[in-house]
Amino acid sequence: MSSATLPASTPQAAPAGEPLLRVVDVKKHFNVGVAATVKAVDGVSFEVREGETLGLVGESGCGKSTLGRLVTQLIPVTSGEVVFNGVDLTKLRGERLRQQRKQLQIIFQDPYASLDPRMTIGDIIAEPLMNFGLLRGRQKDAKVQELLKVVGLNPYFNNRYPHEFSGGQRQRIGIARALALNPKLIVCDEPVSALDVSIQAQIINLLEDLQKEFHLTYIFIAHDLSVVRHISERVMVMYLGKVVEVSPSEELYLSQEHPYTKALLSAIPVPDPRIESQRRLIELQGEIPSPINPPSGCRFHTRCPIARAPGICADQEPPLEEKAPGRWAACHFSDEVRTKV
Amino acid sequence: MLEVKHLSTSFFTDDGEVKAVRDVTFDLFPGETLGIVGESGCGKSVTAMSVLGLVQRPGKIVGGQILFKDRDLTKLNSEELRQIRGRDIAMIFQDPLSSLNPVLRVGFQIDEAMFAHDKIAKEDVPERGVNLLKQVRVPDAQRRVKDYPHQFSGGMRQRAMIAMGLSNRPELLIADEPTTALDVTVQAQILELLRDLNQEMGTSIILITHNLGVVAGLCKRVVVMYAGEIVEEGPVEQIFESPQHPYTWSLLRSLPRVDEKRHERLKSIEGLPPDLIAPPPGCKFNPRCPFRIEKCFSEDPPLEMVGTAQQAKCWVTMKRAYAEMNAATITDTRPGAASGVRPPAELLQVVADLRTLEEPEVLETLAENPQLLEQMVSEEPAALEQLVADHPAVAEKLVTEETAAAVDGAAEDEKSE
Repeated sequence: MSSATLPASTPQAAPAGEPLLRVVDVKKHFNVGVAATVKAVDGVSFEVREGETLGLVGESGCGKSTLGRLVTQLIPVTSGEVVFNGVDLTKLRGERLRQQRKQLQIIFQDPYASLDPRMTIGDIIAEPLMNFGLLRGRQKDAKVQELLKVVGLNPYFNNRYPHEFSGGQRQRIGIARALALNPKLIVCDEPVSALDVSIQAQIINLLEDLQKEFHLTYIFIAHDLSVVRHISERVMVMYLGKVVEVSPSEELYLSQEHPYTKALLSAIPVPDPRIESQRRLIELQGEIPSPINPPSGCRFHTRCPIARAPGICADQEPPLEEKAPGRWAACHFSDEVRTKV
Repeated sequence: MLEVKHLSTSFFTDDGEVKAVRDVTFDLFPGETLGIVGESGCGKSVTAMSVLGLVQRPGKIVGGQILFKDRDLTKLNSEELRQIRGRDIAMIFQDPLSSLNPVLRVGFQIDEAMFAHDKIAKEDVPERGVNLLKQVRVPDAQRRVKDYPHQFSGGMRQRAMIAMGLSNRPELLIADEPTTALDVTVQAQILELLRDLNQEMGTSIILITHNLGVVAGLCKRVVVMYAGEIVEEGPVEQIFESPQHPYTWSLLRSLPRVDEKRHERLKSIEGLPPDLIAPPPGCKFNPRCPFRIEKCFSEDPPLEMVGTAQQAKCWVTMKRAYAEMNAATITDTRPGAASGVRPPAELLQVVADLRTLEEPEVLETLAENPQLLEQMVSEEPAALEQLVADHPAVAEKLVTEETAAAVDGAAEDEKSE
């Protein structure tokens, strides 16, 4: 069990009960050049309940993919804890970490780059099984065929090569590989953003079906907020390595506690010309600041339409607080978001 | 202003002729914003490239006319086309980083476009370059013209591309997925910019995108493409309100929306877009269409008027699908599910025959008819499974010789390196 006490500002997984994953004040700093660090993830805490889908959104460079890789321990944390099933993964090394990894899988964004072109898809899907020496021979082949069937591919395609498949089919292969070890948690890192619209729906439906069938827990990373809203129960919004808001997804899309979330939502084009003609865009000033030297205080204050700068927003970092039941936001003036933004 | 008539563009590859654009006809009026939507490989970009004469070997415009201000662009030589490109018709591309030269200053690249044509007086060029950057809202433009592309962010690079495109005050701007590589907040800014350009300067815009939301926000009229053909065309409100082609209808229903009322299962379109070398006979959408009828397998429907100013290329149309096939309530989106129409009898016959054959003959039939396996995957998965169970060698044959060759080729490439 982890000994660290939970920081006050950790959005709890509701309802109570032991969460499957608990991330405590995790930081990841990359050294770049001399005496410069990119604070890609800078003090993030959250919990994920078993069977839940947590959506993770934000613009490119906000640290959402880095966070996904920290959760699966593909890269080591700079500080903080990743407690999975009661075990702090950051303390584990070697074989013990490898054993835990069985339960944690990841699906990557680019279905073209994430499959070895020289391996047949049967070998690709069987690789995790081989790594752990779980199944061999006939049994292994049977398992591969079963997995192919589960993800909606023809089971007899197992000795074809990745280039023979379309983007959507490759993503299905990636999903089959992730399922091979019966994981509990799958981090889906932009699994549909490289796919065509008509194929996106197929993959989203598949992920939802699999979740029901195998009781999976997802962390679903995407920049497309409409997709995230559709699949997630709770959504976490990140900006420059920090969590700015966490809310149940239905509520988040109705009202927002953080001005950044509101601006982000206002920018999504809706496929309906009548709604589009009435859309009011909250235009953010300028560009995302550099994560090497992020703004003082609230990181969003340089672009925020309601910031008091100079003032509290530039001086003090707002804590992530529960503003309403289940709704967490890091903003000094969250009361004003509804009326003034 | 622009009339595209029966345009066909093909790519002549080793595997055969890829008919990327087939018999595409549309026109554009001055000051109009037209959206061309479709999935990757539907021919939307190739259509735009054809207009600008940018289709390169092995691609070739094989038929039709492109009339721009009463001149047929397909008949012009390369010098005459160069005069029009960048001067009267400008294009912005999807990836702003690979479209800008990394070793030249941004300002120089914008000015270069003006020097290439004689529309702007030479002495005015440097000042106009700065003003253009200001116009596309690049902050601190005076200083920024001296920057190199890598010093610009993605959104600013796209703005620089737009500035370059606008430098000669073109009458038509073709934007090919201008926001696909950008974040939503930046996308919204770029779209706002394009909207202002259209309204303030009267520049006509052809916007090519796969994002239906983007089209809804910017365009007045929309053309929907599928497998190299226009399947539906009309005013944007009409297309979104009452799409008549099952493809457009399915596409709109398959999108998760931020404003959707409740969480429900997405209505996906089953299957994959067809192979453009050997597309299915009849309507190209028939292997995926829930509303198909017998006629769809044999006869290609024409693009016909289905309402005021709206055209669709469909034998059934959604009007009939709603009236006769309960389109409003269907949840099963598999091919033929709503109409109950099975795959063509010939296919069923071939599949039935296959099962009676001995293994070598089965393999021979499959080799003669490379489409058959793919068809069986989508239409008759149960039959395919049975076939493979009876003849294990069929499973082996699912790896084509082509694959084996490609893999060997890759191995040799690596060795030689």
